[in-house]
Amino acid sequence: APAIAQENPKIAWRMTSSFPKSLDTIYGAADDISKHLAASTNGNFTIQPFAAGEIIPGLQAADAVSAGTVEAAHTCSYYFVGKDPTYAIGTAIPFGLNGRLTNAWFYEGNGNTLMNEFYATQGIYGLPAGNTGAQMGGWFRKEINTLDDLKGVKMRIAGLAGQVISKLGVIPQQIAGGDIYPALEKGTIDASEFVGPYDDLKLGLHKVAKYYYYPGWWEGGPTVHAFFNLEKWNSLPKHYQAALTDACAFANTNMMAKYDMKNPPALKQLVSEGATLRPFSQEIMEACFQASIGIYGEISASNPYFKKIYEDQTAFKRDAYLWMQLSEYTFDTFMMIQQRAGKI
Amino acid sequence: MPVFLAVSRLIDAVSQFMGKLSEYMVLLCCLISAANALIRYTFNYSSNGWLEIQWYLFAFVVVLGAAHTLRMNEHVRVDLIYGSVSDRARLWIDTIGLIVFLLPACIFLTWLCWPFFWLSYMQNEVSSNAGGLIRWPVKLILVAGFGLLTLQGFSELIKRIAALTGHLVVETKYEKPLQ
Amino acid sequence: MFDFGIIPPAMFVGMVLFMLYGFPVAFSLAAVGLFFGIIGIATGHFSEAFLQALPLRFFGIVSNDLLLAIPFFTFMGAILERCGLAEDLLEGMGKLFGRVPGGLAYAVILVGAVLGAITGTVAASVITMGVISLPIMLRYGYSPRLATGVIAASGTITQVIPPSLVLVVLADQLGKSVGDMYLGAIGPSILQVSIFMIYILILSIVKPASVPPLPREVRGDFTWALLFKVLSGMVPSIVLIFLVLGTIFMGLATPTEAGALGVVGAMVLAAMHRRLTWPLMQEAMRSTMHITSMVVMILIGSTCFSLVFQGMDGSRWIEHMLSGIPGGPVGFLIFVNIFIFVLAFFLDFFEIAFIVIPMLAPVASALGIDLIWFGVLICVNMQTSFMHPPFGFALFYLRSIADRGVKTSDIYMGALPWVGMQLILVAIVIFWPQSVTYWLKKGPEVDLNTIKIEVPGFGGNGLGLPPMGTPPGMPGLSLPPMNGLPGQPPAQVKPAQ
Ligand code: NA
Ligand code: NA
Repeated sequence: APAIAQENPKIAWRMTSSFPKSLDTIYGAADDISKHLAASTNGNFTIQPFAAGEIIPGLQAADAVSAGTVEAAHTCSYYFVGKDPTYAIGTAIPFGLNGRLTNAWFYEGNGNTLMNEFYATQGIYGLPAGNTGAQMGGWFRKEINTLDDLKGVKMRIAGLAGQVISKLGVIPQQIAGGDIYPALEKGTIDASEFVGPYDDLKLGLHKVAKYYYYPGWWEGGPTVHAFFNLEKWNSLPKHYQAALTDACAFANTNMMAKYDMKNPPALKQLVSEGATLRPFSQEIMEACFQASIGIYGEISASNPYFKKIYEDQTAFKRDAYLWMQLSEYTFDTFMMIQQRAGKI
Repeated sequence: MPVFLAVSRLIDAVSQFMGKLSEYMVLLCCLISAANALIRYTFNYSSNGWLEIQWYLFAFVVVLGAAHTLRMNEHVRVDLIYGSVSDRARLWIDTIGLIVFLLPACIFLTWLCWPFFWLSYMQNEVSSNAGGLIRWPVKLILVAGFGLLTLQGFSELIKRIAALTGHLVVETKYEKPLQ
Repeated sequence: MFDFGIIPPAMFVGMVLFMLYGFPVAFSLAAVGLFFGIIGIATGHFSEAFLQALPLRFFGIVSNDLLLAIPFFTFMGAILERCGLAEDLLEGMGKLFGRVPGGLAYAVILVGAVLGAITGTVAASVITMGVISLPIMLRYGYSPRLATGVIAASGTITQVIPPSLVLVVLADQLGKSVGDMYLGAIGPSILQVSIFMIYILILSIVKPASVPPLPREVRGDFTWALLFKVLSGMVPSIVLIFLVLGTIFMGLATPTEAGALGVVGAMVLAAMHRRLTWPLMQEAMRSTMHITSMVVMILIGSTCFSLVFQGMDGSRWIEHMLSGIPGGPVGFLIFVNIFIFVLAFFLDFFEIAFIVIPMLAPVASALGIDLIWFGVLICVNMQTSFMHPPFGFALFYLRSIADRGVKTSDIYMGALPWVGMQLILVAIVIFWPQSVTYWLKKGPEVDLNTIKIEVPGFGGNGLGLPPMGTPPGMPGLSLPPMNGLPGQPPAQVKPAQ
């Protein structure tokens, strides 16, 4: 029996989420990890999830994990671009990959290996543990038809996307979470991005800014990460590492599944309550695309990790979108035509 | 004792200086915030850097003003007991409180905040908001604030002990923080 | 009770004892937290590294934009108080109600409601109110208990009246929209102000000596000239308050910035009255600095406590005690409200909102309870947490600004009737849900299956896909010919009839 006890040591970890419990889909992934891990290790290795703020403020998760304050975090890597822009690629960069290709790059491409080379410099080991799928572009008080319409728009949008869109004259604006609604309502800001229909509906932003733009080109298929303290990860028995890797992979798949089930009815609800759908124009998309390329060049010039990982992802992206044209694109497009024609 | 009292006076002077500075930061913070609103409204312009400096100053006021607030005995107490005992008993309450509560807590918190600041400094961390500020100065404020509180704690302790041993007269009246 | 060990309940007891000792609250809270932190490390609940969360939490506090309202509104109040403009407002109202017993109390409640409509933090509201009106009430013969009670209570109205920090936090925790929470809180706000006014009315009949009318020489005889003088004396303050409210409603500023504009407005008004002097400004800056530091250091101290409480599985302990409550929705609500009322003796609303609400919300939702109603109800209940002797934060704030002549026991005793009135309101909201839901904009009840969305913009001037029939220039890779998607007009919603 002692031998077995050694093979299956009792380990109890804490996982701080960067999300409130009210975002049940994103927060729920931490619960998924916890449940699957406990089940597969017979309750010997447990991770207790905590909502943002219960132990660690949401945006401090990376510091907490690398210092070993908590063993694990469930968070978006790009919240920490202020420390190093390379963090952004872990989640999504503007005009990066869609959800499916993100997973391909992480699991079968070099994504996970390369990101972990970088995370190791931060004392972190990371695993994909959730994906929202392509997000929406956010809520605007007025229509945005041309590039000129973007000038002077005060938008709540953080990170690299904020840098990109500021090149087109948008003023990225920092507003406390609870202030978004009144700030949009009163016109203190003109626009705000959030997630997608299911989560946006709960915030009620459609009641104060009715134009709902898409796609969220800065988040084509963002990964939500499980971060682990590197030393703690390395100290785990191999089969615990495997169990935890599997639990995260399940959470990764399941979050996208949840969003794909919950977003369609939420979209209908939003539209029935007055949300007006609008696509970003080709002109705006292309200008933002060009601005992004410029920014990636600037960062790559001074940041070798970013350069290496960005170039690897871009090489994959080049071929992947060739394949997508034959596969998903044609099939999806045909099916969309049938959907529009009311034949489904 | 005179040496200790001289040290205490020196610490008090530093705290008072930082306190004075904090008072001006209150005004500066208000003016910047009001200007941010007016400029956004009139010129349709805004900057995350200028928005962030508001809470940098707020942090300055809160943390670096705390030592001076302690010196002025203006941190709020539950004075059910404190308010009804003799001056000498109050000196003892403060002395024990400083040794058992304040000093261990503030020394420990200073020590905890240092690596938090140092990591940010080494990473050259900046705000994740476009156009935001460098992060380490506000984290340094936390270190400096708890450090200064620790020093002020020692100064208060010196004064209380001096008063208990008859070397100094200390006003133990728990004054209202706002005149 | 002790299913998660003796430590979580012991922490509550420890906190009470440490605070009663009489050392400043901020450091006592930090010390009790760290004391149990050492115990937690010894018992293996967590490692030393766990306490490294503290700087992260401090950073979270000082970077919270909403808390900027504390210095701004304190500063505004301090300037107004020192240049006498706010006294004009309260005295003006007092004179108008002058011949009526309880007139000053009515004025305080109304001004409290108006301040509540400007600010969202109890600290700013209680402090502003206390600084302005406590000396006046005492000067004109109000009993200290009634004066402090009505001020503390009127100051806490701000958390029910939008904009409100508590409602914002609750909306976040319940996953509901802030706007809906604000709408739901309108009814209870009106009810609360009414209950307070009725109490003063009853008091002025039963015990008129405690709420004397203003002496004749102060209020003067009623003449039209007096009315005009009073009204014009009130104009600056009212203009200022509407300036602050107006900047929020016009979208000029966030609620926080409106506070800063209020400071500038107060300075301008003081200058117009030739009362703006540098000593006045320095004095206002000085007291604002002290109060801001004092209040936020309490938050910093309490975050030490709550971190360790979390590490000791305190939240699981509370969750455990909540599981298996009998009696359906009403039984649940009554239990929950008693529970929160008791908890509010020990924790402030941040802790309750962050630790307890997430455990209650799923249960409430499963019982079919409307979460907006639930949130507003909790908000009204948590208002008592600011008023509980001996740890209510409103009472701390009031103690910190009250003259030494006001005994702490007066402040504590004075709070009790108002806590009682708040509990009456809790009961009203429980048994009369329409008091909340009446104000909510009902979304149209739609059958989602009837909603047809035609997604705009494939082609046209929207996000056009390349026509599928056109080879993109790479031989051998031309896409199979298919008709490109037809261009679509912008978004149309056609609920199928
Ligand atoms: Na988003
Ligand atoms: Na309010």
